[in-house]
Amino acid sequence: MNTPILPLIPLCTALALLGCEKTEQHAAAQSTTPQQGGTLVYATDREPTCLDPHVAGDMPQVFVAQQYLDSLVSMDSNGQIGPWLATSWEVSPDGLRYTFHLRRDVQFTDGTPFNAEAVKANLDHMANPKTQSSTAGGYIRQYRGTKVLDTYTAEVTLATPYAAFLEVLAQGFLGIQSPTALQRSRDQNCESPVGSGPFKVVRWDRQNQVELVRNPAYNWAPPTARHQGPAYLDRIVWKFIQEPSVRFASLQAGEVDVIEALPPESHEAARRNPDVELIIAQRPGNPTNGTFNLRRAPFDDIRVREAFVRSADVEGALKSVYFGEFPRAGGPLSLATPFYSGDFERGQDYDPARAARLLDEAGWTGRDSEGYRTRNGQRLRAVVLIGARTPPSELTLWEQVQATTRQAGLELVLDQMSDAQVTARQAAWDYDIRIGYWNTNTPDVLRIIFTTAFVQPAGVGGYHQNSSGYADPGFDALLDSALATQDADLRRQRYFQAQQQAAAQYLQLTTYPQSTRLGIYKTAHGVRLEPSLAVTYLYDAWVNK
Amino acid sequence: MTTTTLAVTDPRRERLAALGRRAVIRLAGGVLVLWAVATLTFFALRLMPGDPVLAILGGPSGNPTPEAIEAARVEYGLDKPLAVQYVFYLGRLLQGDLGVSYSQHLPVTRVLAEQGGATLELTIAALLLAWVLVLLLTVVTAGRGRLVGGIASLAETLSAALPHFWLGVVLLAVFAFGLRWFPPAGSDSFASLILPALSLAIPLAGFIAQVTRESLELTLDQPFILTARTRGLSDLAVRFRHALRHALLPGVSLSGWAIGALISGAVVCEVIFSRKGVGRQLYQAVQAQDLPLVIGISLVVAAGYVLANILVDLLYQWIDPRQQEAAA
Amino acid sequence: MTDLTHDQALAPLRRQRHLKLPPLGASLAILFLFALLLAALAPGLFTRIDPLAIVPRQAFQPPGWAHWLGTDQSGRDIFARIIHGARQSLLIGLAATAISMVIAIALGLLGGLGGARVDRAVGWLLEVLFAFPSLVLALLFVAVFGSGVGPLIVATGLGGAPGYARMVRGQVLAVRNAGYIEAARALGHPTARIVLRQLLPNAMRPLVVTLTMGVGQAIVWASALSFLGLGARPPAPEWGTMLSMGRDFIANAWWLTFFPGLFIVLTTLATTVTGRYIQQRLEGRLP
Repeated sequence: MNTPILPLIPLCTALALLGCEKTEQHAAAQSTTPQQGGTLVYATDREPTCLDPHVAGDMPQVFVAQQYLDSLVSMDSNGQIGPWLATSWEVSPDGLRYTFHLRRDVQFTDGTPFNAEAVKANLDHMANPKTQSSTAGGYIRQYRGTKVLDTYTAEVTLATPYAAFLEVLAQGFLGIQSPTALQRSRDQNCESPVGSGPFKVVRWDRQNQVELVRNPAYNWAPPTARHQGPAYLDRIVWKFIQEPSVRFASLQAGEVDVIEALPPESHEAARRNPDVELIIAQRPGNPTNGTFNLRRAPFDDIRVREAFVRSADVEGALKSVYFGEFPRAGGPLSLATPFYSGDFERGQDYDPARAARLLDEAGWTGRDSEGYRTRNGQRLRAVVLIGARTPPSELTLWEQVQATTRQAGLELVLDQMSDAQVTARQAAWDYDIRIGYWNTNTPDVLRIIFTTAFVQPAGVGGYHQNSSGYADPGFDALLDSALATQDADLRRQRYFQAQQQAAAQYLQLTTYPQSTRLGIYKTAHGVRLEPSLAVTYLYDAWVNK
Repeated sequence: MTTTTLAVTDPRRERLAALGRRAVIRLAGGVLVLWAVATLTFFALRLMPGDPVLAILGGPSGNPTPEAIEAARVEYGLDKPLAVQYVFYLGRLLQGDLGVSYSQHLPVTRVLAEQGGATLELTIAALLLAWVLVLLLTVVTAGRGRLVGGIASLAETLSAALPHFWLGVVLLAVFAFGLRWFPPAGSDSFASLILPALSLAIPLAGFIAQVTRESLELTLDQPFILTARTRGLSDLAVRFRHALRHALLPGVSLSGWAIGALISGAVVCEVIFSRKGVGRQLYQAVQAQDLPLVIGISLVVAAGYVLANILVDLLYQWIDPRQQEAAA
Repeated sequence: MTDLTHDQALAPLRRQRHLKLPPLGASLAILFLFALLLAALAPGLFTRIDPLAIVPRQAFQPPGWAHWLGTDQSGRDIFARIIHGARQSLLIGLAATAISMVIAIALGLLGGLGGARVDRAVGWLLEVLFAFPSLVLALLFVAVFGSGVGPLIVATGLGGAPGYARMVRGQVLAVRNAGYIEAARALGHPTARIVLRQLLPNAMRPLVVTLTMGVGQAIVWASALSFLGLGARPPAPEWGTMLSMGRDFIANAWWLTFFPGLFIVLTTLATTVTGRYIQQRLEGRLP
């Protein structure tokens, strides 16, 4: 699809705070009244390693956990925080104490009641190193403890002010599980977590599917949901089909009702098929990118960084590799992120003339026999790490980037190796470009990927979330100040400055935004994406078979 | 009854006894082989680059703390010297404990139990299907003249030349995506078994058919066939009832090797058709550098293969006792 | 009844005739292999297009005049990639078979000549190697030594070695007591010379056929490993790798997957037919 990007940007900027959900429908939903009962078959590409999203924490985990875990608070499509398991809350003036008043009618599916003890148990679980929580634990680094004031009031204490705290609490990664269940071993909890959500886990048939059934007692849906009370569906079969062509063919044949990660090469066929509806939404956070390593040449020089970005024809690559289905992401935040600003989308546009000027300015004026630029006899060369499980389309994208940067005289080496070796090289800062992305519903992601605090290794493994090595005290202070206030206007101002600085420093080559792409067969209705992370939400869904 | 010097023992019992002895010898040999296999895989995989602890603790996206790493090291016994690890490993093996998978945090035996069934299903279905194809093709067309034989021979050579991964993709595209006769994915229904089994069975059938055809044609020239014909038996009856039994031998001995080839093929077919199974599991374990799972699957596969070969060997013996002294 | 006996009388001759492939087939096969070899040595004769040249605007062109077999997702010409892939595939197939042979000859000689104990040990080692289906063995090897063309060649070579080793050993055992060997020993020739000049060539002669077909088999195995992403990595124009990369697009652009696979089939077919032809000539079943 060749939708020009230009008109789309102002449109989506206007819708930015709504999360820019582009819903394409050509099947007129015949039945608008939900039907009770039935089984919905959902197929996704990757199988989670653990059904408890507290452990590790990647996208497949949060997608499935969203169906059986509730969160303390909810976030709507405007970025506003609303109640869920917590009905109301107060933040102390110094921003260090959050007092949550909890719902009294919530029960976990194993019979344990939900109360302040449960909140404490969950937050402690996420912060506990034994849980090995990369994502949830990483988001609550500031957590110091929870005090149970009374049965339904919990006071959470933080070490430093953290305005993004409520935002991260709305994510499925920090879903609330039964404290009784959390006391089991980590592996047991991975297999059969217990939550209070609209569905519960029955069985995990590895390499095949997870089976969920309705929780009949459910009566505490968030205000972002479309109805209250138990879910419509009796059962959900959450299948794993890795092959994109097979997944799509299963949808077209009606073998599955909903598929996720609709392959870009099949978008056209899906649009032409009257039995299939698409939901495509960008995910908030830091888009897919190649982050530059500022700690060594050649990317220690901002001119070379910008030249690299300007000489890479990413738009052309996206059109061919992803059939024009993925728009170009030009700024450090995707447009679905709260406090996103569209002013920085054009900073990475293809401009080979400018690239040439910059490289000349930076002193790379020599040319060697193969046409690459040199300076003092050294060739202008950069290495990008490609892991074994990098999707072929990503590799193809970087091959095309390689071809275009070559024309500017820059040699890009695609170094392919196992994932473990990628981690080792990343830990040792032995790379020039590292491919990554970060899905999260808060612009605080800029602090995680670009500030000094995250340059240090997170653990003995050596992995450091800040892959760029950018360590500017001014930037650190800016992002900490954005956390220190609850005032939305102030935050917007500060995050604007943060985006401006990150974009101007050319810390990454951003390629395309992460997105959730669902294909829905005519049998399924009411399938939605929950607003905070654009995660599939089947609570309001029903089937008509 | 008094025994005479010319005591004639029951030939059938003798054969059974010989078979039994052979079975015991082969089984004992098999155990030794398995021990060697286990040792080989253990030391080979310890040579793998990369710290296995990082693989356990979530791979590239995990951020383990120093305590978590130490805990994992102790939990998996990785802090002890190599020789000690080996002894523990053998001890656990004897108790049927193959360790815990790094990537799935499940006992390896459990992974095998859950996934093994699907692969077994696929392998057996493919073998049966291959034999059906072989029998249909060879028995009906052998010795019938140059044109028919030539065409059949060509078909066999062509099938044997088809790589199963390509055949699988083509079958999937044509019959599942295009014509929609079969489901494109899944491990549950019978319908989802057909295309993967076919993509394994067709090349195998090509191989076995070539050998069986040669042997069948040789057999059809034997005098006893002529005798059977003169007794008035129909051609098909002659072929199936008399010729086949003798002609099957080379095919049967190939079946042992065939099972190994099918298991190899299952790895690729399970990936292509998104089926559960130990083949795909092994492939993912290699990618994830999951030591216990790679070792566990290799061991079980090797054990199964050794056992299958012993069974085939015994079957061969049973069918044809003249082969008693077959060279190894 | 008369027809029957007449048929039976002619049966041996007829049998010979339909086991013998018409020379047409064999010549086509040999021609194909020769063309393949030529493509491997001098790909420029077949195509001028750079197999690695990325032209995004020309992605997914169907087979046509400008691109005989179409283009892939980066606009690279598929025919050019197949021709250049011939070098990769042939190199891998030959190198892997060579490795198999070296291992096989070593083990076979050891077993055949070393005396009963050594023979048993070698036999036992072969059993151990045989216990693994070939792909599983190759996967284990790749797990330890990583992926890439080098490990791919060794892994494929290892996979084929046990089969050849058994054959070599059998042949060595059969040949070592032959008349000419006795004669050579009686004449006082050094053992090494006997082995190299008399024993090995005669033992290996029947294996030529197996080897010819074996190269085809090695190419298929190597392609299977590359197909799984454990061998030659993209954008290398190896046929298995090309097949794998095209798999996702089979609904839109079938030619990405079809043609590399077709060439694998043709190569295997050609080596099999050629091998059989050689066998029949050696056995004197042809005029």
